[in-house]
Amino acid sequence: MNRINKKLNEDKKLLSIYFTAGYPNIDDTVTIIENLEKNGVDMIEIGLPFSDPLADGPTIQASSTAALKNGMTTEVLFEQLKDIRKTVNIPLIIMGYFNPMFQYGVEAFCKKCQEIGIDGLIIPDLPVDVYHEEYQAIFEKYGLINVFLITPQTSDERIHYIDSISNGFIYMVSSASTTGAQSGFGTVQTEYFERIGKMNLNNPQVIGFGISNNETFTQATQYAKGAIIGSAFVKHVTNNGVNSIDTFVNSILN
Amino acid sequence: MKYQDNIKNVAALQPDYLGFIFYEKSARNFDSESIPDIHEAIKKTGVFVDASLEFVIDKINKHNLQAVQLHGNESPEYCDDLKNRHAKFVSVSHPLEIIKVFSVKDEFNFNRLKPYEAVCDFFLFDTKGKHPGGNGYTFDWNLLNHYPSTKPFFLSGGIGLEEIEDIKQFTNSKASKYCYALDVNSKFEIEPGLKNIEALKAFKKNLSEVLDYKKEHVMNYNVNEKGYYGEFGGAFIPEMLYPNVEELRQNYLKVMAEPDFKAEFDKLLKDYVGRPSPLYFAKRLSEKYNTKIYLKREDLNHTGAHKINNTIGQILMAKRLGKHRIIAETGAGQHGVATATVCALMGLECIVYMGEIDIARQAPNVARMKMLGAKVVPALSGSRTLKDATNEAIRDWINNPVDTHYIIGSAIGPHPYPDMVTRFQAVISEEIKWQLKEQTGNENPDYLVACIGGGSNAAGTYYHYLHEPEVGIIAVEAAGLGVDSGESAATSVLGKEGIIHGCKTLLMQTQDGQITEPYSISAGLDYPGVGPMHAHLAKTGRAEFMAITDEDAMNAGLELCKLEGIIPAIESSHALAIFEQRQFKPNDVVVVSLSGRGDKDLNNYIEYFKI
Repeated sequence: MNRINKKLNEDKKLLSIYFTAGYPNIDDTVTIIENLEKNGVDMIEIGLPFSDPLADGPTIQASSTAALKNGMTTEVLFEQLKDIRKTVNIPLIIMGYFNPMFQYGVEAFCKKCQEIGIDGLIIPDLPVDVYHEEYQAIFEKYGLINVFLITPQTSDERIHYIDSISNGFIYMVSSASTTGAQSGFGTVQTEYFERIGKMNLNNPQVIGFGISNNETFTQATQYAKGAIIGSAFVKHVTNNGVNSIDTFVNSILN
Repeated sequence: MKYQDNIKNVAALQPDYLGFIFYEKSARNFDSESIPDIHEAIKKTGVFVDASLEFVIDKINKHNLQAVQLHGNESPEYCDDLKNRHAKFVSVSHPLEIIKVFSVKDEFNFNRLKPYEAVCDFFLFDTKGKHPGGNGYTFDWNLLNHYPSTKPFFLSGGIGLEEIEDIKQFTNSKASKYCYALDVNSKFEIEPGLKNIEALKAFKKNLSEVLDYKKEHVMNYNVNEKGYYGEFGGAFIPEMLYPNVEELRQNYLKVMAEPDFKAEFDKLLKDYVGRPSPLYFAKRLSEKYNTKIYLKREDLNHTGAHKINNTIGQILMAKRLGKHRIIAETGAGQHGVATATVCALMGLECIVYMGEIDIARQAPNVARMKMLGAKVVPALSGSRTLKDATNEAIRDWINNPVDTHYIIGSAIGPHPYPDMVTRFQAVISEEIKWQLKEQTGNENPDYLVACIGGGSNAAGTYYHYLHEPEVGIIAVEAAGLGVDSGESAATSVLGKEGIIHGCKTLLMQTQDGQITEPYSISAGLDYPGVGPMHAHLAKTGRAEFMAITDEDAMNAGLELCKLEGIIPAIESSHALAIFEQRQFKPNDVVVVSLSGRGDKDLNNYIEYFKI
């Protein structure tokens, strides 16, 4: 069983953290992953930086630009991660935009992920129908879970379609926004969380966008299996480097 | 088709489509439980006559049909409903092909086709007879000389072995230009529903040459149902954008086909933009290059460029969709000004994203936008130019999914944008056709020339000529300091297939798939991608691509000033520069899209020539 599915079966609320690979320094990737696991994070999204991250707000844009300047590439990331499974056991997901994967070759990319021990991918600009038609067979061949996003504007019909194509979890974007734009949830969001909760989907949901502290994490996980923190963590390493990851994770969980 | 073995035998001849009639009154009615397994490349086609949508969907599901032929009085709304229901209940990813049948006798009113343009994939012309199809005699194919559409059609009605010579003649005539397929039936039957395999074999053998030729040459340069031009296009968008883009996709053709919309669009183009723009025979320029050069004067439009054709169309679209907040990206500021202009005209809120670096370089256009009431927001991310302004506009749209319309300025972006922008700009080639006919007696030039950044003026200039093989298409890209200099925007040469701003196209990028910053002296041509239609035209060889350096463009711009008294935009100067590099025959008629005027570039001209 894929590590993601196993993790989703655990009887607890999950904390997933996103970071941009190669940021703040090119060689921080492995340190960040190991520290996150050590401090009790359940799942990690490794951001493969892209020059034009359409769905991201200023924080992740800036970290992506900096990471590329630092020399991060798909090749470099795979090289950094080649021994990651010797030290890390939690699910690892690569999150990135489609063009770098497309240039690497989708099949070659998936094959490499399997070799390294990557469990899944999140590709915001690969639409579900294109995935379904052209790439699903490849992902499945290499045992990778592809995670799709839904938003408050996604129709019920489309949510069911996405649910039928998914085999891990559904990434529930908390509000109509790019990453890092929200602070706190109002009734509009909680109503949306409730609405999705009542749909009895096959895949559990994990909420992302707008989770930044213990309060929002607790609030989100009332309605979903887990929550993802991205921009807030990237901000934290921008300000504090990679040495105080424990402080950040503790502030979320406790 | 009706009988299982007979179906298999016909399928072995590898037709492109195989038809099954679901109409009880027909002697050929298909009433078997299932269709035998046939090769998946053969499209199983259900033939219906005024059937209920439920009945059609049921048959599609039951028999896995990929296409339908509608032989009754089905309305455009019926076709549209069928498409939508198919997407909802059968498959989103494999759209249904709809073939609408029209019966022709001695005459045919082609206006009947219009309402169906947006909702069908093909037309089929059959002989009008006692029954809906299968009557066994032909109609006068010369009627198709007046076929006004570019939609590919099926030719049907009484075609048999005896018609082979006629078909050969037909395929060489103008009337067959959009003929996509031959539909045969009763003349190849032993009894209704039972086909004569030997006769079909003979038919296919005799026609293989013309059919192959047709297949190769009836290339479709228009967008398909899923938003692709060949392998380019599509909609690679984050889920957050899906509702907005889908709303547009479902509505744009419908809205554009509404008589009210057309009337309002045409009126504004005439009274506000100043169309038709003149087609001007450039006598002295023609003498210098010993050929016949006509300039399509888009520079004379209100706001000084072709951009306004599209913004007028899109602002009307936005209003029809109930949007009251407009966003746009701009590079040099031309599209920003054109958007701010139409927002002022309609009293809508306008936000224009512009790279921080471009804001500094293009102060007069920034001022224009502000005077017109727009808010200009600097794009501070990435390289702080056009592509980043586009990213920022897309991010804004993600954050404002309900009340906002994004007016993209070029023939780029996720489907349906490239097609929608192209259709709004297509007024350019529509006018060229009648203007050229008026001036030369022939509506087809030998060549069309346009500069390409994203490619909206080029798309509009080519649109009505794409399927006229005798009209050469020349696309002019900006070579910057030289194609191999590292400072260039010649995407067709330097680009590789990739994904930018929601579409798959040719794109300048690193080996790692990071999008790179192009360079050209012309701010309207330095886009790292190119519209997907142009990528397709490059790949198929339909268009000849040329790259012009800064220096050659600037000289050509100055030359037009001196020879014709017209100061062109530097973008358009690239198109003019090809005459130094490429020979044309003295009798060649070459139409160049003069996409914009040079007022905005005065500073560049002044600095470059030390005027």
